[in-house]
Amino acid sequence: MPFQMTELAFLEQLAHRFSLPVPEYLTASATRMKIRDALQRWRGKGVVKADVMSGGRGKAKVVTVVEDVQQAMAQLRRLANAEVGGMHARTSYITQFIPADLQVYSAVTYDSRFCGPSLTVSMKGGVDIESVEERHKQTIPVDVFKGLDAYQASQLFEGLACPKPLISILSRTLVSFWDMFISTGMRMCEVNPWRVGPDNAPYACDFKAVFDEANYKLKEADLEFPEYPESATEFEEDMAAWDASSYRGQAHVSELGGDLVLPILFGGGAGTIIAETLEAAGGRPIFLSDFGGNPPYERMVGTAERCFRYHLAGASALLILGGKANNTLIDVTFQAIGDALARHFEERGRVEIPVVIGRGGPRMVPGFLAMRETLESLRLPYVIFGHDTPVTLVAEYAARLAKFVKTRKEARRAT
Amino acid sequence: MRPRKLSGLLKKGDRVAVSNITGREASKVTVASQQYAGNIVGGWALGKGGQTIEVPGKDPVPVFATCEELYATLPKHGAPNKIIIYSPPEAVYGEVKEAIQYGGDRLHTIFIITENVSVEVTAKIRQISDEASVDVIGCNTLGVVNVHDHVRVGAVGGEAPEESFKPGCATIISNSGNMVNTIAGYMQAAGIGTHFGISTGKDVLILTPLVEFLKLAARSDETRLIVLYVEPGGLYEQEAIRWMRDTGFEKPVIVYVAGSLLEGRRVALGHAGAVVEGPQTSASGKMAAFDEYFGTGHFDPDKRIRKSNGARDRPRRGIRVTALHHLPAAAMAVCDALGWDRDFPIRHELRLNPWFLNYRDLADELPHALLLRPGHIPEPYRSQFARQMKVSVGLSPVRRDLRNTSRASSLDEAGQRIYGYSLTELMSKHSFGEAIILYWTGELPRYGFEAKLVEMGLIASLTNGPGTISAQAAKLSASAGNAPNTGMIATLAAIGTVHGGNGRQGVRYLLKIFTRLNLKNPYDPGPDIDVAKLAHETAVAFKKVKDAAKDSGVDYERIPCLGHPVFNDKPVNYDPRERAIWEAVQQTGRTNVFLDFYHQLARALHDVGVASRVWAVNVDAALACVWLGVCWTALMEKRISLKRAEDCAFLGFALGRAAGGAGEFLDHQDYGSPMDMRVPASDCQSLTRPRDLPKGGS
Repeated sequence: MPFQMTELAFLEQLAHRFSLPVPEYLTASATRMKIRDALQRWRGKGVVKADVMSGGRGKAKVVTVVEDVQQAMAQLRRLANAEVGGMHARTSYITQFIPADLQVYSAVTYDSRFCGPSLTVSMKGGVDIESVEERHKQTIPVDVFKGLDAYQASQLFEGLACPKPLISILSRTLVSFWDMFISTGMRMCEVNPWRVGPDNAPYACDFKAVFDEANYKLKEADLEFPEYPESATEFEEDMAAWDASSYRGQAHVSELGGDLVLPILFGGGAGTIIAETLEAAGGRPIFLSDFGGNPPYERMVGTAERCFRYHLAGASALLILGGKANNTLIDVTFQAIGDALARHFEERGRVEIPVVIGRGGPRMVPGFLAMRETLESLRLPYVIFGHDTPVTLVAEYAARLAKFVKTRKEARRAT
Repeated sequence: MRPRKLSGLLKKGDRVAVSNITGREASKVTVASQQYAGNIVGGWALGKGGQTIEVPGKDPVPVFATCEELYATLPKHGAPNKIIIYSPPEAVYGEVKEAIQYGGDRLHTIFIITENVSVEVTAKIRQISDEASVDVIGCNTLGVVNVHDHVRVGAVGGEAPEESFKPGCATIISNSGNMVNTIAGYMQAAGIGTHFGISTGKDVLILTPLVEFLKLAARSDETRLIVLYVEPGGLYEQEAIRWMRDTGFEKPVIVYVAGSLLEGRRVALGHAGAVVEGPQTSASGKMAAFDEYFGTGHFDPDKRIRKSNGARDRPRRGIRVTALHHLPAAAMAVCDALGWDRDFPIRHELRLNPWFLNYRDLADELPHALLLRPGHIPEPYRSQFARQMKVSVGLSPVRRDLRNTSRASSLDEAGQRIYGYSLTELMSKHSFGEAIILYWTGELPRYGFEAKLVEMGLIASLTNGPGTISAQAAKLSASAGNAPNTGMIATLAAIGTVHGGNGRQGVRYLLKIFTRLNLKNPYDPGPDIDVAKLAHETAVAFKKVKDAAKDSGVDYERIPCLGHPVFNDKPVNYDPRERAIWEAVQQTGRTNVFLDFYHQLARALHDVGVASRVWAVNVDAALACVWLGVCWTALMEKRISLKRAEDCAFLGFALGRAAGGAGEFLDHQDYGSPMDMRVPASDCQSLTRPRDLPKGGS
């Protein structure tokens, strides 16, 4: 998953660094006494929230207003284990309740229409921005070199009929907001809402950001990204670490929850199409993968070994499929996959599974022969297609074959 | 200068320069592109100025130290107007800036191949390139191909662009580089070729958006049909659809939108996800937008064959397909609706065409629909497979970069290793011969006597007397006052295919004969292999060839490793070194089928009248037979390559002779006079008469 950040990490690491006004907060580890004192300071009202990597409507269920310490403690305990849309909370925290007459939405992101950064603002914050009518929100491009200036922001607020006394402070706040965006290598950040109270001061009351791993500023920002318990399966975590261990060749996987076809796929584009075709044809792919980018032998061996270790035993067909490669050397990748398969059999025992292969590209002929030799020596059934057979047809065939094998397996087990 | 047509992006005569040209991928693609298009005028790489990239059959591509130097050095008319960036992500912005600075008005387009360029840098590149009126394609593009002009930049089409791209009327624009070739190949099944293949790049920001390519295509007469491969993210398609609708774009579009089944799943793959610009950026949002533009539902291949609802009902604006392999059928339907001819006759249908299969036991149970028959492997692959499969002996090793890497040796905390075995353990428990076998073949010898035979071969190779050219070379080196290592080098430099290389020929010759037989163990060939009969048949066949060659007055291939310049005057001749090895073989209680064969062949050649005496089987034959015996099982089980087995026999001689050369050197160094190997001028003869040089030089 890309580097992301939600409100608690923002409160802990970013808000003060960029002088962004935020409510006071305490984490779930705070003592009862500290919470009681804080509630007194906050005029008896706090907001308990789950720290969960999820946004949108479902998140409202894990935000609750509390008015005394008993309620606060109970809600902190409850929400520390909350779940939203399959995502589990990491912890919970309590923030000062900000009474507000006005809620403002703001986001900075890179926008395909301008091919650069843009700022979106609405005076109808606190709700899903997609549900806000177009006339109530405005998006403007921001010069990536010069950045956002307060005048530009004030023009935007004027256009949205922002109360005049607020324009100056909101504009200055958005300039700091932009500074945070551009200084830390973000791809997108959103505050929804800024709650503006009777004192005309805005407070950032929810936050999310996505960072650009390719941006050197992210490394220099020295941020800590909390780990969320449900964000990846063990296989995904293992593969993510393996992927990050080298820049040569990709090792991306995302589990899809299927149980039939184990797909070793090459190329992001082809991989997506193949996974869709498998799914549509009932092939229930176990995961989505992209192992392209011309991986060297050791890289491909390691990738294949991990796939086999986690999923070969439960699969009903092994599919090795990609389009006609431009750079990826077929003999290197196929020899590596074959060797990993042979090693898996030696170390973990044989698996009876048909292998369906489709590929084209540099050094395909020795690659196919190496793979065929391995499959012959392992005595596995196989079908190998060249690049003249469309990948989607191969995927459909693999799906049908896997379904047959699974049915046969189940029938045998029943007898 | 902004292009007006697609050819403005890339055409014949464009001059291309490559950044970081000596990089792994850049240099590989440069060679392939230069062979396909010949449009690369140079490249640059820091610290690599003055080098060249060699291109077989073409002039080498010059490498400059910087972009500035490239533009300053190349003549104005030869300066690049297209630049491909292959530099690492952190260098891309600087490269683009320099290209714009030094390229000036001469530079029209930059193609950024580099992956993982940050979005911020991409946005900055957009801004500076806009100000300079330079088009940038990418980042993360695979490149562009102009099939009509037979030119490309980047790696679109891989090593064999001709295979995917035949000239035709379709322009393919794809977020995925790989899909450009794949789709072009599929479209051939509809008889439709390609005008342009464009990989737009697949990052969050695409620097030349779809609408800009469509504007160029609208003004390009060669393009009649647009094929799009679209992924989620961005509003590029919505923007393009709005433009097509507003301007009444007349060229039909066939589109495949990927990514719909992944919606709602938390997937993060190589292709960047959507920028938060609303649901229109999703795959389903894009599908709906295209369907609305086309004014119809998606393409259904089954409906195509119904006459009542036939092809002519198809919308002229184009159609969306839901499976990639429906593209040719959809293209044909659109062409039919518009009354267009195909670019070329339909060559093949898209279908399951297995090249290799073996269902094993599954074949008995598979339903008919799943049981495929072996298909047809198209040329040139069929011939390539046939050729490769013919080479059935030995391993065909998979090549990879071995810099800083070795299969043969390693050094870890415990010490040095050869193929994983501890060097110190080898020192204490094994002989030199065993260690050499391990280092050269990757395996310890299977039989104890093999190392003994190898060592005998080393001793046998030490000398053939001081007159051999390899010994002479060592003596020459000593006579010149050189250091002892040069004595060994001189010895090695004086052995080659004629002197010393016969062992390699011997292995080759024996393999030709014995790979036809089912020989499992050369030390115990079993009753199925009748060596005497084999030798006789070989001698008869050789005589036929020799007689026919003599009758025709042409040369013929000799049998290697037979005969000796000294041991040749008896009715039956022997090389004593070979004799000693043969006796050692016999003492093991086993045989060496190859050496046995050589003996019987020498006799058979005499018996059939090829030779008046029984030739000596020389020491080269003995070395070839010993090493082939050592390598045989690994060779047949494809653990070592054929070349390695051949080279082992040669190296067995070279190692022994190098040590022998050292002996000659040391002797000559101690007892010889300086320069005593010199031949006085009076003893030398000239075969050329003296001549005067032309006056005034050439």
